[in-house]
Amino acid sequence: MTGAQIRFLTLLRRETTRFFKIKRQTLGAPLLETFLYISVFGAALGSRIDQLHGVDYVVFIIPGLIMMAWATNAFSNNSSSLLQQKFQRSIDDQLSSPASPLELLLALSLGGFLRGGIVAVLTFVAARILIDVPIEHIEVLLPGLFLVGFFFAQLGVLVGLRAEQFDDVSFYQTFILQPLIFLGGVFYSATLLPEPFETLTQFNPVYYMIGLVRYGFIGYSETNIALSLVFLVVACTALFALNLRLFGRGYRLRA
Amino acid sequence: MYALAINELVKRYPTGTEALKGVSLEIEEGEFYGLLGPNGAGKSTLIHCTTGLAQPTSGSIEIFGHDAVHHYGDARLAVGLAPQEPNLDWFLTIEESLDFHGGYFGMPRKDRKERATELLDAFSLTDKRHEKTRFLSGGMKRRLILARALMHRPKLLILDEPTAGVDVELRLELWHYVQRINQEGTTILLTTHYLEEAEQLCTKIAFINGGEIVATGTSADLAREYNVTSLEDAYLALVGRGELSRAHVPVADA
Repeated sequence: MTGAQIRFLTLLRRETTRFFKIKRQTLGAPLLETFLYISVFGAALGSRIDQLHGVDYVVFIIPGLIMMAWATNAFSNNSSSLLQQKFQRSIDDQLSSPASPLELLLALSLGGFLRGGIVAVLTFVAARILIDVPIEHIEVLLPGLFLVGFFFAQLGVLVGLRAEQFDDVSFYQTFILQPLIFLGGVFYSATLLPEPFETLTQFNPVYYMIGLVRYGFIGYSETNIALSLVFLVVACTALFALNLRLFGRGYRLRA
Repeated sequence: MYALAINELVKRYPTGTEALKGVSLEIEEGEFYGLLGPNGAGKSTLIHCTTGLAQPTSGSIEIFGHDAVHHYGDARLAVGLAPQEPNLDWFLTIEESLDFHGGYFGMPRKDRKERATELLDAFSLTDKRHEKTRFLSGGMKRRLILARALMHRPKLLILDEPTAGVDVELRLELWHYVQRINQEGTTILLTTHYLEEAEQLCTKIAFINGGEIVATGTSADLAREYNVTSLEDAYLALVGRGELSRAHVPVADA
């Protein structure tokens, strides 16, 4: 293995070590949260709701919950990890190493991506045991989920870079991310909304992400799949390029 | 070839503060070099520019002939930094801190394991190797920071006030250790506020003030330059506080 490969794997291992060391908070809590959503919205409320677009209500919401698990965990992992390291200045040990901005950014991004992926997979396995969740279009599901995870991982890095205190991170999570996800149609179909809310939903980017994942699982979508994929690829590329530029400049990392 | 060659280094912060105003400095390979100056003189900024923690506005920095600013890979491999403030990763244990640092510098696993064992022993940290860094005492953190700086066997070791706030025995222990590695060939750049420390350890000293190197030489050279008899008095003359010289302080009755 070359020095650069060892370096990159160590940077990545630092991220995974962090979230495994506090796994009750980083893996246990999100799993419990998803389980509670399934119980409350699926089993309790869902028993009162007829089928939605040809599937049981609980099956209809599972794709959105899995996407939400990946997105929120990728985001919160990266924003918190980066801010904590900036706060403790422990990031200086990495910044004074030969690691390039690309290596630093990729390792940090993948940390959150992997944590989100683990929570999403465990959510899927648990849901699959309890409910018969189909997978109709794996060729859309996998790239869709990967792109969503990568997008929110990058967003987490960006917010972590900009943040100067923990309140900054929780602001983005509570006042921007959560409303976008909840109003993006995790728990309902936008076609059921009265105007102007149905039209407004179409301006929410998360709506298209949920559409992709839901199509992958149950074969139903209210959005254009090809366009959504293209939009996500462009958004991921733009965000990654922005973060790379900021890392290269040492934005809020180097004096 | 110089271990460290800094030429016309300027660092201007976005606020407009010019922390370094065209600093030039050359440190010979194998030297034990002291950088002294009052708070805010530019010592830490110079160290941060050298180690990649700050981006110079202009000027050049070479470490063993390698550009440390733009093509920094080889330059950073040659430098170990023990910073002024403990900056340990709270999530890691002592042993992991050394292991991860070695990994950041591309050391293979077997080499990391052997080097970490050696340093844990040298700094009396073996018994606490599995303790998380956040629960360590100040002295233990200091030991670990120095061990971490040495993990990848740097040819240039930068010590930014390494003995600030540590007890006498640890200070002397660190002196012995850094003197030994200097004799074994490691070049050392030391900043300190303890002038007797600089006098005892450094073969050459530079005074920095207001972002400029104002004098360099041995301890005796500097005393001569300021027309006084000790390094401490030369320093007091530099900062314009000659009236504080020990020569004016009466000795307490026994």
